[in-house]
Amino acid sequence: MDEASRKLKIAVISPVQVGFEGAGDSIVVPAYDGLMGILYGHAPMMTLLGTGEVTVKDGSTVHRIAVSGGFLQVVDNEVSVLAEEVGEPSSTGPGTEDAD
Amino acid sequence: MAKARDISRRMRSVQSTRKITRTMEMVATSKLRRAQNRVREARPFAERLTGVVENLVTPELAELEPVLRQPDRIRRAAVVLVTSNRGLCGAFNVNLIRKARELLAELQASDVETEFHVIGKKGISYFRFRNVEMASRRIDIGDSPSPEEARELIDPLAERFVQEELDAVYVVHAEFRSVMSTPPITRRLLPVYVPQERPTREPYYILDPSAEVILARLLPLHLVSSMYRALVENAAAEQGARRTAMKSATDNADEFLTTLRRQFNRARQQEITSQLAEIIGGAEALKG
Repeated sequence: MDEASRKLKIAVISPVQVGFEGAGDSIVVPAYDGLMGILYGHAPMMTLLGTGEVTVKDGSTVHRIAVSGGFLQVVDNEVSVLAEEVGEPSSTGPGTEDAD
Repeated sequence: MAKARDISRRMRSVQSTRKITRTMEMVATSKLRRAQNRVREARPFAERLTGVVENLVTPELAELEPVLRQPDRIRRAAVVLVTSNRGLCGAFNVNLIRKARELLAELQASDVETEFHVIGKKGISYFRFRNVEMASRRIDIGDSPSPEEARELIDPLAERFVQEELDAVYVVHAEFRSVMSTPPITRRLLPVYVPQERPTREPYYILDPSAEVILARLLPLHLVSSMYRALVENAAAEQGARRTAMKSATDNADEFLTTLRRQFNRARQQEITSQLAEIIGGAEALKG
């Protein structure tokens, strides 16, 4: 498998909106008992979410989305974050001023 | 033959009606676009959640989790009917009311004690007029329903389902298939559908915490999301129905105006002809 296709398919959605949809190299989510990172090739998994920030890294671009409550599912390199509430995403990376 | 002036008065009245229906059509179109977006945004969440819940639920778990209770016989049921607050949307509310009455009759025929919750002024006024008892009435749900409103609606019902005071909860609302197709449908929210035949759980999930804990958190979310979806689809369907109704009203007014204009011209012509005839007649008489 070539490098380019070794990416996660990520969707962060709430009942009201789709917060983020796209590809990423890694994702860090606030699980109910602490942060959890997921890379390509992760085993199928379901877990509950707490409150915090989802961080999606894609190359040198970083997307951050605030989430609260809900649930995470990983299957076949598809990560679905189904949160009760999703905030506005913010991105940093090449071309954007680093906010931090 | 009507007088030209009468016809012209009528034309003015049709014209102002046309202006109103045309405006309402445009308002509905813009509201529809926003409502359609909400439906589109709500769908992925509801679909994935349903998929996950169905994937996790097993008949064994169903016996542990009270929300998954599968009553062998339905004795008491709640019916939630979603209608609109405003009219002028064609047969939209009538269709919903008919669907609800069918469901109520069906439940009554099978000896189920039913309580009836109605959302929306149009449904409430209909059933109040018919003296149908309503357990609750809500008119404060507007064009953009929120998940909180859905939670307020479904939580008390779910609570009573768990207490075994209710055995089933049905929602009657309009499904938003497309702008032209918004049929009324009945959805059973409770008891939650549990597949009896389990396909081997593929892939093998790591569950953290256990399936029971995850389900206990997800089921309320699932109910809220289903209810929210019903409200959102209904709101979009209402705008779609109103747009269609107002468009055909505008078209009818146009058609009517053409007919009236033709009549008006004929009447006016006739008036002139008869006036001319009178003048000529008068002149002839003076000559003699």
